[in-house]
Amino acid sequence: MNFLTIFARNLKQGPQTEAFPLGPAFTPDRLRGRIEFKAESCEGCRICERVCPANAIRFAKTPDGMTFDCWHNTCVFCGNCEFYCPTDAIHQTNDWDLSHANVDKFDMVEHGLIPNQKCADCGATALNTAPMVKNAKPPLSAEEYTELRARCPKCRAKYLKNRKVPA
Amino acid sequence: MSTHNVPETFSIPVGPLHVALEEPMYFKIDVQGETVSHIDINAGHAHRGIEYLTTKRTMYQNVVLTERICSLCSNSHPQTFAMAAEKIAGIEVPERGIYLRTVADEMKRVTSHLFNVALLVHLVGYETYFMHMMQVREIGQDMLESIFGNRQDIGAMCIGGVRYDLDDKSIAYIKGALDKIEAETKDIIKTFKTNGSILRRTKGVGVLTHADAITCGVVGPVARASGVDYDVRREAPYAAYDRLPLIVHSLTDGDVWSRAMVRLEEILTSIDLLRVCLRDLPGGPVNINDRPDIPPGQAVTRSEAPRGEVIYYLRTNDTPQPERVKWRVPTFMNWDSLRFMLQDAKVADIAMIVNSIDPCLSCTER
Repeated sequence: MNFLTIFARNLKQGPQTEAFPLGPAFTPDRLRGRIEFKAESCEGCRICERVCPANAIRFAKTPDGMTFDCWHNTCVFCGNCEFYCPTDAIHQTNDWDLSHANVDKFDMVEHGLIPNQKCADCGATALNTAPMVKNAKPPLSAEEYTELRARCPKCRAKYLKNRKVPA
Repeated sequence: MSTHNVPETFSIPVGPLHVALEEPMYFKIDVQGETVSHIDINAGHAHRGIEYLTTKRTMYQNVVLTERICSLCSNSHPQTFAMAAEKIAGIEVPERGIYLRTVADEMKRVTSHLFNVALLVHLVGYETYFMHMMQVREIGQDMLESIFGNRQDIGAMCIGGVRYDLDDKSIAYIKGALDKIEAETKDIIKTFKTNGSILRRTKGVGVLTHADAITCGVVGPVARASGVDYDVRREAPYAAYDRLPLIVHSLTDGDVWSRAMVRLEEILTSIDLLRVCLRDLPGGPVNINDRPDIPPGQAVTRSEAPRGEVIYYLRTNDTPQPERVKWRVPTFMNWDSLRFMLQDAKVADIAMIVNSIDPCLSCTER
């Protein structure tokens, strides 16, 4: 009896399958797909490298700075890197289309570079990472942030220590 | 030709591929005519060495690794693992995290049970209804994908809470999807109670008596269908189950039909639990927002996976990697009961009876 209703409904609705690749495929906003890395927000704490269960994320020191590589052919798209990243420098987009020709298999990499810079204070060469100021009280102003960022880790610590905190 | 040279019993292989769930399990079955007289179960084709691998990865990597042991219980494994780690480290999960753990658990249960019962209908030979049931399950799979970002490995758990959060929009979406699944499931239950093809193939087939169920120590829906009224969610509540109106369904016949019926009734209960969770969802953080080191120690935790009780043993030492992780999965307890269920069954019913314990060999052999 209820089969007639199902039949009538299915007749009206048409096929339940998606027309992909001829039409769009169901893609929710929260879908965990391709990794996106923003080098300018990275603190360089390398927690993503440590929590990645597939060892798909590698940091390496180069003459230009520190490189970030996420190998999409190794990645299991678990989202641990995004979840543990303190500054949202890693983000999983909802782009799931990772099909590629075999010759491109070594290009399925999300690459980023945290460049070196000369410290504004002491002139030493250090990485231009985002400063770890999540717990700084009061929060840094935009100007202070730029000043802090231009320094090496040692001078950053000094800068934060000598910061005039309004009473 | 004289007939006395024909042997009375034959030995037929079933598996290791495509018994019921495309699970690699090998049965050597002696048949007398159409009737099974003796069975030999041989497993080990899906061994991947995951227990060893867990000792090579850190606790935080292992939450992801344990999720990939099994696709249909992919929430119960990391949850039980995280519960063990929390027990050792004395971490208390925030109240909202506890409720969201229950939400993830019950969503997976709904889709897992629908999948198993749909496969039963497929093995009965009722392909049209199988397609319909898989379409109903698809509502649940779309729900998982929309809330968690993946259809199977939902990645909801982390040590110290959950990784996802719900807002008003997603709660409304879940409620809408649950309404659809509930109406369809009620229809499916009605069909299971009245449809001749399903009743004839499943009633009185593969019976596991109450006494045999106790002997084999079966768990989950297999136990409850044989009258063993046991559910970890009630006996040893974890997550938010001590605050929820949980109904444990049990039947007494112990046949394939009863096991399917227990699963179908549990879907409705899960939907009710989900509604209560979403209604009572407290505010606050969803996890401890920290990544503490797990101190040396050991713990045993258990939870009710869709297939039954899953037990985790975890021993940690001073290193970030666990020293030993061991789990006992429901299928390990349930597959022994196949010897009783398949005894004197018809050859044509073998696949259906094997499917009725909802075997999961990827957990069992890991």
